[in-house]
Amino acid sequence: MAHESILIYRKFRYLKWALLLVAISSVLYIAHAPVGSPNGGTWLGYTLGTISAGLMVWLAWFGIRKRSYKGSSGRLEDWLSAHVYLGLALLIVATLHSGFQFGWNIHTLLYALMMGVALSGAVGLYFYSRFPRLLSQNRGGLSAEVMLSQIADLDRDIRTLAMTLDDQTNNVVYESIKNTRIGNDFLRQLSGTDPQCPTSAARHYVERAGGQGLSTARRDLLARLVKKEGLLRRLRRDIQLRLGLQVWLYVHVPLTFAMLAALIAHVVTVFYYW
Amino acid sequence: MKVLVKYITRKTSGGTAVREENFDSEVVAFGRATTCDVELPDSRVLLQHAQIVRRSESLYIEALAGETVSVNGHLVKTRRIHEGDELRIGPYVIILETPETQAEITLSVEMTAPQDDELASLLARSKLRTDEVGISKRQLSWMMFVAVLAAILIIPMVATWFSGSGRIDISAMDRSALTHAPTTLWNTGELSSSHRFFGNSCEVCHVQPFVPVQDGTCTSCHPKISHHADPHMFAFASFGDTACQSCHKEHQGKESIARDDQAFCADCHQDLSSHAAETTLLNVTDFALDHPGFRPSVAKNVAAHVMDRKLAMSDTPTPTENSGLIFNHEDHVRADGVEHPEKGNIQLECSNCHVSDDGGVSMLPISFESHCHDCHALRFDTQFPDREMVHGDPLAVFSQISDVYEAVAMRGGYQEPEAPAILRRRPNTTLTAPEKEAAQNWALSKTQEVMNGRFGRGICEECHKVVDDSSSPVWRVEPVYIATQWFPKATFTHKKHNSVDCGTCHAAKTSISSADVLMPTIETCRSCHGGEYATDLVPSTCVDCHRFHQIGLELMQQNSSSAPSLEAAAPEDGQ
Repeated sequence: MAHESILIYRKFRYLKWALLLVAISSVLYIAHAPVGSPNGGTWLGYTLGTISAGLMVWLAWFGIRKRSYKGSSGRLEDWLSAHVYLGLALLIVATLHSGFQFGWNIHTLLYALMMGVALSGAVGLYFYSRFPRLLSQNRGGLSAEVMLSQIADLDRDIRTLAMTLDDQTNNVVYESIKNTRIGNDFLRQLSGTDPQCPTSAARHYVERAGGQGLSTARRDLLARLVKKEGLLRRLRRDIQLRLGLQVWLYVHVPLTFAMLAALIAHVVTVFYYW
Repeated sequence: MKVLVKYITRKTSGGTAVREENFDSEVVAFGRATTCDVELPDSRVLLQHAQIVRRSESLYIEALAGETVSVNGHLVKTRRIHEGDELRIGPYVIILETPETQAEITLSVEMTAPQDDELASLLARSKLRTDEVGISKRQLSWMMFVAVLAAILIIPMVATWFSGSGRIDISAMDRSALTHAPTTLWNTGELSSSHRFFGNSCEVCHVQPFVPVQDGTCTSCHPKISHHADPHMFAFASFGDTACQSCHKEHQGKESIARDDQAFCADCHQDLSSHAAETTLLNVTDFALDHPGFRPSVAKNVAAHVMDRKLAMSDTPTPTENSGLIFNHEDHVRADGVEHPEKGNIQLECSNCHVSDDGGVSMLPISFESHCHDCHALRFDTQFPDREMVHGDPLAVFSQISDVYEAVAMRGGYQEPEAPAILRRRPNTTLTAPEKEAAQNWALSKTQEVMNGRFGRGICEECHKVVDDSSSPVWRVEPVYIATQWFPKATFTHKKHNSVDCGTCHAAKTSISSADVLMPTIETCRSCHGGEYATDLVPSTCVDCHRFHQIGLELMQQNSSSAPSLEAAAPEDGQ
C-alpha cells in the first residue's frame, strides 16, 4: 500500500469527489446573500455545518474501519484515499461554514483542533511517503533480527577479546556490552541516537588507550566495536523511522478525540443559546 | 605444594562432569589470564584476581590488585582458610576440600552464574518495538476527549444551571441586574454596539435553553416597534410570523443590527404588485437608477381632510396645493425688500418664518401670531389704533367689534366725520331713550359695515378664502391646512443640509401662488445622492430616507402574545 497509490487511487476518484464538494460549497457561498454577514446560522451555514460535522465523524470512523482490512463497506484503499481527500475538503467546507468569523471562543477552538488534526494527518502522509524508502535504505537488505544477531555475535567476540586485555579495558568493554541499549524510551526512539552510548564510549577508550601502536587483539577488538557501533546506529535509525510511521498518530488520534468533543460542545452550545 | 583442581560442570540433564588437573606450585594463582594456575575465563574476573599462599603450614587467600574475595560470604582482602571454606571469585565458587591422595590442596571450581546469552540480554535491555514506549494512544485520546468536553461544555453548563439566573429583566436599563455568565467562551461573536450594554449576561435575550430568542423578548424592551405594512391589508408584509431575528442578526460584530442594504428592500419593492395586487406603492430598486418621482401629499379638500399624492414634482402639470391659504412667496422674499410698518424697508429671509425644530429634522409650524402679525396687524378702525381683531374666529371678531362700537355709542366722542352727530357728541353726556336706540342701531350697522368692509372681511381675504354663511350672523373663513410633512413616508433632516442654500431645493423666490408646492424634484436630490453602489455621489440606501417599521401602524408586539411576557416575569414593585 504505497503512498502514491493512495493519492492517485482509482484515477483520483476521491480527489474529484472532494473537488466537487468544494466547488459546490464555494459557488453556494459566493452566490448566497444572507441577512448580515455570512455565518454558521444561515440556511447555507447550517447546511455546510451539517456536512462538516458529518465529514468529521466519518473521517474519525476511519480509525475503527482500518482495523479490519476486509470490511463489508469498500476496500481499505478506498477508505484511506477518501479519508485524505475528503479530509482536505473538510477544511474548506468548514471554513465557509464559519463565514471567516473567528474569535476567542470554543467554536474557533473546534476550528483550530480540526486544523491540528489535518496538519498531523498531512505530516503522517508525508512520513508514509518518505519513511518506507528510508527504512529499506537504512536496513540495506538486513532485517532488524539479523542486525541484532550480528550484534550478539560481536558482543561474544568482543567479550572474549577483551578478556585477554588489561583489566581496565576489559571492564570498560564488559560494561559497554552490559549497558548498551537500543531504544530505551520514547525520546531515545524518536531521536534515533544515543549520545551516551556505552559502545561508543568503549570504542573511544580502546582507540585512545591504544596510543600509536595497537596490539593484534586490540585491533580486532576495535574493529568489532566499530562494526557494532554501525549496526547500533542503523538499528536506532530503523526504530526512529518505524516510530515516525506511528508517532504522528499520537497527535492525530488524540487531537481527533479532542476535536469530536469540541464538535459536540459546538453543536450543543449554539442551540443552547439559539 | 601439590594441588588438585576439580573443574565441575553441571549438565542440563542433572549430572555433573568433573575435569581434574594436577600441578605443583608454591602459589595457587586465580585469574582470567591463561597463565594463572586456575584459569577463570570470565569477564567478571580480573586477569590476576587472587592467590592462595601457604605460610607456616596455614593457607591464606589473598586478593590482588586491590580487589576482594568472598570467603564464606565475607568480602576480605586476605584471610586464613580452612578445609570446607567457600571462596567466591566473580561467578566462580571455589571450595577448599579435604585433600585427596597425594595432593596437599584440593579445590573444586564451579561456574555458578554463567554469562547471559548475548542476544537474549541485548533484547531484554532494549525496547525495539515502537509501541512499547509506555504511552497509550487510546488512553491519551479519551483523556483529551473528556478534558475538552468537561472544560468547554459540561462545567460551564452545570455552572449556568447552578447560578440559575433565568430571565434577566433589564428593560429599566438597570445594569445591576446583569450577571456574568460562565459561558462567555460560548459566545459566537461580538454583540452589536447597542446590545453590548448587556455584557456577558446571555440570559437577557436567551431566556430558555434550546429555544430560539423569541420576539416577545425583543419587544419587552422595544415595545413601540410597529409593523412595516398594515397587517390586515398586507399580511405578507407585516412579518407577523417572522421572528425579529430573521432580519436583525446579533453576534455579528460591532456594527448595527438594523439592515441598511437596498437589496433587502428591493427584494419585494422591485415588483411589489406581484406580492400585493392592491398596493398603490410604485416599484423601486435604486435611488439613482430606479426610484419614482417625489409625490408630495397635498391637500385637495381641507375641510374633508382629503389628501392627494397622485402627482410627482417632476410631472406636468405639477402637483398643486389647496391649502385654503392665499400666500405669495415672491412678494415676501423679493430682492428690493418689503415694507415693515415700523422698521421701514426690510429684507426677509426664509428663516424669518421657517425655523427647524431643535432636532434639526423638520420645520416648526407657521402661525399668524409668530410670523405674520408683525407686519399684518388686524386693526379695523383708525380711531382705535390699539384695537386688533382676534385671529381665527369671525364670531369672536364680530362680538369684539360690536362691543367696541356699542361702547363708543354709549359714551360718545367718536371722531369719525361721517358718523352721526349723536356719536360725535361730548363724551359721557346722557342720552334720551330714542337717542340711545339710534346710537345702538348705529353701533350694529357700523359693526356690520366694518365686518364686511375693507378692514374686516377685506383683511381676512388677503390671505384666506371667505365665504358667506347663512347659518351664521357673519361670513365664514375656509379652513386652512399648512403642510408639515409633504412626504410622510420619508424622513428628511434639514440640519444635515444646512450648508445648502434654501433656494437650491425650494423655488420660493419665483412662487407667486400658494397653490405651488415648493418641494424639490428627485433630480435635485440626485445631483448629490446616488444609490447604494454610487461611486461619485453620496451612496444612499433606502433607510437613509425611509423607515422599515412604519410609525402609526399597529405595534408588532400585539401579535406576539404567545411569547413570554416581561410583565409577568418582572417583580410587581419594579423597584
